[in-house]
Amino acid sequence: MKKIKLLLIIVFLLFSSLSWAQTEVTGIVTDSQTDAPLSNVTIIIKGTSLGTTTENNGSYKLKLPKAGSTLIISSLGYKSKEVIATVPVTNIILESSGMKNLDEVVVVGYGTKIKKDLTGNIAKVKGSDVQNMPVTNLDQALQGRAAGVFVEAGSGKVGEGVKVLIRGSGSISASNEPLYVIDGVPISTNSYSGSPIADINFNDIESFDILKDASAAAIYGSRAANGVVLITTKKGKSGKTNFQVNMQYGNNKPTHLRGFLNAKQYIDLLREAAINSDHIEGVDPTDPDQYEDSWLEFAEGRLDRYSGWADWRKNEINTDWQKKAFNDHAPTGGMDISASGGTDKTKYYISLSYIDQKGILIGNSLKRISSRINLEQAVSEKFKIGFNLSLSQTTTGRVTADNEFNTPMQSVALTPVTPFKDKDGIIYTKPTTTYANPYVDYAEGNYKALIYRNIGNIFGQYNFSKSIFFRSEFGADIQNQNDDMFYGARTSYGIGTNGYGESDWFRSLTYNVNNYFNFKKTLAEKHDIDAVLGMSYQEYNSEYANVYGEQFPVDNLQKLASAGLIKGGTSVATKSAFLSYFARANYKFDNKYLVSVSGRIDGSSVFGNDRRYGFFPAVSAGWILSEENFLQNQNILSFLKIRASWGLTGNADGFGDFASRGLWGGSSYNGTGGLVPTQLANPDLKWEKSNQTDIGLDFGFLNNRISGEIDVYNRKTDGLIYDVPVPGNTGYTNKTVNIGAMQNKGLEIVLNSDNVVTKNFKWSSNLNLAFNKNKITRLDGDQTLIAGNDGRYLNSLIVGQSIGIFYGPKFAGADPDNGDALYYLPDGKSTTNVYEDAGNFIVGNPNPKLIGGFGNTVSYKGFELSFLFQGVFGNQIMNGAGGFMSSSFAWFDNQTSDQLGRWQKKGDITQVPQLRLGYDNGISASSRYVQNGDYIRLKNITLGYNFPITFAKNLKLQSARLYVTAVNILTFTKYTGWDPEVNADYRAGNRNQGGDFYTAPQIKNISVGLNIGF
Amino acid sequence: MKKLLIILSVSIFTFSSCSKKLDIDPTQSVDEHLVFNNDANIKAALNGAYDVVSGASLLGGDMQLYSELLGAGGEIKWVGTYQQPREIYNKAILTNNSFVRDTYTEAYRAINICNNIIVSIDKVNEDDRNNVKGQALLLRGTMYFELVKLFSKPYSAGDPATNMGLQIVTTPTLDGKVTDANKVPRSSVKDTYVQIISDLTTAKSLLDDTYGEYVGTYTASAVLSRVYLQMSDYANARDEADNVIENSGASLEPAYSKAFNNTAPSSEDIYVLPVTAQDGSNDMWLFWSISDYGARDGDVEVRQAHINLYEANDARLALFYIDDQDVYRSGKWKFQYRYLPVIRLAEMYLTRAECNFRLGTTIGATPDDDLNLTIRKRVGLAPVSVTLANILFERRLELADEGQRIHDIKRLKESVDGFQYDDNKLVFPIPLREVNAGAGILEQNPGY
Repeated sequence: MKKIKLLLIIVFLLFSSLSWAQTEVTGIVTDSQTDAPLSNVTIIIKGTSLGTTTENNGSYKLKLPKAGSTLIISSLGYKSKEVIATVPVTNIILESSGMKNLDEVVVVGYGTKIKKDLTGNIAKVKGSDVQNMPVTNLDQALQGRAAGVFVEAGSGKVGEGVKVLIRGSGSISASNEPLYVIDGVPISTNSYSGSPIADINFNDIESFDILKDASAAAIYGSRAANGVVLITTKKGKSGKTNFQVNMQYGNNKPTHLRGFLNAKQYIDLLREAAINSDHIEGVDPTDPDQYEDSWLEFAEGRLDRYSGWADWRKNEINTDWQKKAFNDHAPTGGMDISASGGTDKTKYYISLSYIDQKGILIGNSLKRISSRINLEQAVSEKFKIGFNLSLSQTTTGRVTADNEFNTPMQSVALTPVTPFKDKDGIIYTKPTTTYANPYVDYAEGNYKALIYRNIGNIFGQYNFSKSIFFRSEFGADIQNQNDDMFYGARTSYGIGTNGYGESDWFRSLTYNVNNYFNFKKTLAEKHDIDAVLGMSYQEYNSEYANVYGEQFPVDNLQKLASAGLIKGGTSVATKSAFLSYFARANYKFDNKYLVSVSGRIDGSSVFGNDRRYGFFPAVSAGWILSEENFLQNQNILSFLKIRASWGLTGNADGFGDFASRGLWGGSSYNGTGGLVPTQLANPDLKWEKSNQTDIGLDFGFLNNRISGEIDVYNRKTDGLIYDVPVPGNTGYTNKTVNIGAMQNKGLEIVLNSDNVVTKNFKWSSNLNLAFNKNKITRLDGDQTLIAGNDGRYLNSLIVGQSIGIFYGPKFAGADPDNGDALYYLPDGKSTTNVYEDAGNFIVGNPNPKLIGGFGNTVSYKGFELSFLFQGVFGNQIMNGAGGFMSSSFAWFDNQTSDQLGRWQKKGDITQVPQLRLGYDNGISASSRYVQNGDYIRLKNITLGYNFPITFAKNLKLQSARLYVTAVNILTFTKYTGWDPEVNADYRAGNRNQGGDFYTAPQIKNISVGLNIGF
Repeated sequence: MKKLLIILSVSIFTFSSCSKKLDIDPTQSVDEHLVFNNDANIKAALNGAYDVVSGASLLGGDMQLYSELLGAGGEIKWVGTYQQPREIYNKAILTNNSFVRDTYTEAYRAINICNNIIVSIDKVNEDDRNNVKGQALLLRGTMYFELVKLFSKPYSAGDPATNMGLQIVTTPTLDGKVTDANKVPRSSVKDTYVQIISDLTTAKSLLDDTYGEYVGTYTASAVLSRVYLQMSDYANARDEADNVIENSGASLEPAYSKAFNNTAPSSEDIYVLPVTAQDGSNDMWLFWSISDYGARDGDVEVRQAHINLYEANDARLALFYIDDQDVYRSGKWKFQYRYLPVIRLAEMYLTRAECNFRLGTTIGATPDDDLNLTIRKRVGLAPVSVTLANILFERRLELADEGQRIHDIKRLKESVDGFQYDDNKLVFPIPLREVNAGAGILEQNPGY
């Protein structure tokens, strides 16, 4: 019977092809459950290579060789279907396969894979999920969206660095950043200043594939110890040209402000502090005879000075200096245009994008113009070539680092009794203000960075046969940056020298060559083999030059051509290279059993001759249990796979290009050149190695309406590079050695659920949670503790504890008897008022115990609401500026309002010791300045409305969408500082985490936008 | 078959890349072994040693600042925001004080350069060999002397043979090796002084008669006179001072104010650090001057108590200036790009006068001549009777704010701000990082 059918079809086909009558068919493809139109559905005429894909509104148009052709319709996440075409209209309804996530194509190093067949752990974030988020950096857009990927913007400065940690910290002093690979080319994450990631327009991105475990990442060998973020940009599809236009407008605001004393409180508390100090010295300053040379006289003298034209005794002035740090109005806006399309042979994607964000801080802004062309051409059946090219210009209005006196946030240190301007309208600065007024540096200065960035690659791929191809890629990442700085004669940098100007130039070129063979074959229907064999060479070059000068004739001549005195300049260059060979083989048997083996040999110029090469292997295996017979006769469990992997990866980034050598560098004395030692040698320096085991479970229930992943991992890094203190009498302070070992153990849970799926109403949720425990397991033979108490912070390295743990004195509040700051003695019970005698304790941990994200998408007819909560739990933050701003009035800095609760009289129980001007009453680094940093944030919420297709059609549009989106709109935290997502930029590093130092709060943004397609 | 050949040739092309590509040398630095293999490089390293010694943490200001802050005595006041100098001013120094740490490590950095030079001295041209070695020895001895004054009990206190001095390291650090020579216990104060005198006297015999920005035999004498004075070895102190006065050719500037704020060495500079817009550092200016002159906020104030010490027509009084907050400021450190005098000839006269007076001798000149005709006359003051107190008082005013105060207090066994000259709190702690990195061998000072 079957045979007869087949025969009939063949005969039918034969005859029909003879008739050769072309007929056109149109129709719409919709979802069986929701009736929603489906885009990107592939429709192929059976027995031919002819076909098309559906448009955004689900429609298609196809020329048939003859009426009655059979169409094969397939789409990701739907059951494939064959229908016989009826002319002129054939509407098609597709049924969900429940495999949408599992059939997804995942990008792996040098290839792709179906998610179902993965044996390693890879998190995928779709570009469409983060599209049009009003943030500047793509890593910020990823925050909360992938399990185990910790993203932290150090502050609310736009265009500055964002920390990304995949499965915890892996290194003490080498890089902890993942490797970013765009369309196969590793990009440079070095820059002179600001974030090199901010140059990338993430609206061009199709997908982010984050390789988390070692087996997934090991194909990147020595570059992959911290995970790999593979970024794939959008490509064209054959069909008519599709234009997309997006316009957006919004406003930035700080997430939170901190409370400081007002003028009256300032005067009262300052005088109280001065009187207290006098009393300690046995002076009663209220006695006119003892007033002279008293602290009170000193303080009141300073109040006179700080008051400028005003009289503090009359309470005339109450300046809110915190407000002066922020822009009154910080608009943001942007526009994106893209066009994509192609033919059978040529496919293209072109885009142009402009964003303009004014930061919340005065002087802080970012503008970016970027464009991209992705083009692919099939030269012949066997040979294709193409290129992906992006060009961007980023202009950043920069503000100085958090510890600089002229960074806007340090204006909070100024006293509220100081008027903003003098009687002539000139903004006050030193000596009327305690410190230089940062506002003057902003108003009479200029600090701009201009970056040109060009990331691109060209490739050629030759298919020797259906099963084997060779691909060659050449990629380059070129950065060209110029920082221009000018500070006028009244600014903190320019005072005394009639202005200060500086011009910095930075250029880097990273180029990369990949050559590899790919082999793919199915044998006897049950054995799927695919393999990769190749090599890669990468070279990184950078050059930097600057010149700076003083003595500018007038403030409006700001280029160095006008500098009366060129003070100095420099030029430096550096270079490093990697040479790598890699191989990988995957084997799948009967669609149930999966095995993968890979290895990579890496050579790096960073190490000495004998230590240059490292070998980085990985193995993994998976078992799809749901394919087994014993799980066939049930309806609950629709998918189940267990997988396990082990791999070794390496790290050679982030500690300098020549760290193994004993070096002397140039210096100068009396106008003559000299040589001084700069680096202690360590010929034995070698790779940091990371050894990771991962066991995972992928599951789906109820036709995969509920699906998820659970992974446990153990990541051990060894040979950690660290600058170990050596005795100063060697003439050096540190030696770079492989001393340490560290461990990250964790559990990751991902849950996806389609809660409601009906025609008009849909609701889906996804949750990701990641628990990570970081532990240093070895420092070196001798030391188990490198204490980090530097007077402001306590980030230490202790064996058995997490990296950067806060280790130092534990504050015991104010002595109820006399208001002295008390600390716990080493016994942990009794207290002392002598800081030096205090015991050292673990008083906080900057590493979160748990991070997570909870996203929801709800749609009702044309409306779509999506929101993402993101949270960080179990970490602490230390305010390094506590000794200035919450210091019991140790000096004249304005104080945080919690200082109102100070100790005043015997019996007072308080955490704020007695106010004492000029005395350090409890201001050294201790748990006094440590707080919990847990927070939950409504990271992003978007409400969109898709205009009905009929309405759009009337306007000759394919689609139209209006949306309101907000970032960081709600934050729930007990942290009393500005914002719990914080790490002071001037010191941020692997160990130096969780520090707050006049650090700008995060940005809260609300934007409206319109998206149209035609 | 053809296909296989193509694949094979592509493979060979692909995998035959050259591993020489990984041989990359730095462009801003040279390997340590290249530094000490010829004359020119060793001389460059010597210039590097001068550079380190003139750094802000050492003689480029901080060492002088420490002395004045410790010896404040109500005559100056630290009002700046930096906690580290404030701790020194309050005599409540924490072991993690970063200024103290940097001074310690930078001084040893200079010492290590000198050790490298001394060991490789045979590679220096024969004609210059003595002079190069002498400079390295003098800089090394000077660094040890400056360190021992700050980090150890004064020579005048207790028994210098048992009080802890410094770790003496005279071998160079090479190939990244921390050797046994670095893991030595602290020598006694006495032995430290023995090492210092040995370095300085050898230097004195090797050096030529240069002085000013670079050091020579008279610089060695001047430093030696300070060393002997600390040891109360008045005869030697007198003779070294006399050698400088009589033989160096240096002369006092006619006007006191001309000894400061110069853009070239003055005629009385025995050792002076060049500070220009392009080169050198001056932390005395940074902390003592005011924002009008590009400095910080006037962190060190001169108090009325000090001003009251001067006679009304003293030219040295006229050098102080008053800022717009009616605070006195030292005029010696007013401007930014001005040479920083480390040893002035005037000090030699006062040392000779003091020693001659104590010993009842008149080597070179009578104490009366040195005190009244040389020092007081220049600043427009009438003669006073020659007593030890008057000579010492004159020294205090003449060298005010120049970094000698605490060392004089200590050798003269005076007290300051309620601390006896030998108080533990007038001695810096060994930096915490050194104690930690010292593998249990480096002992902390008493009181910390």
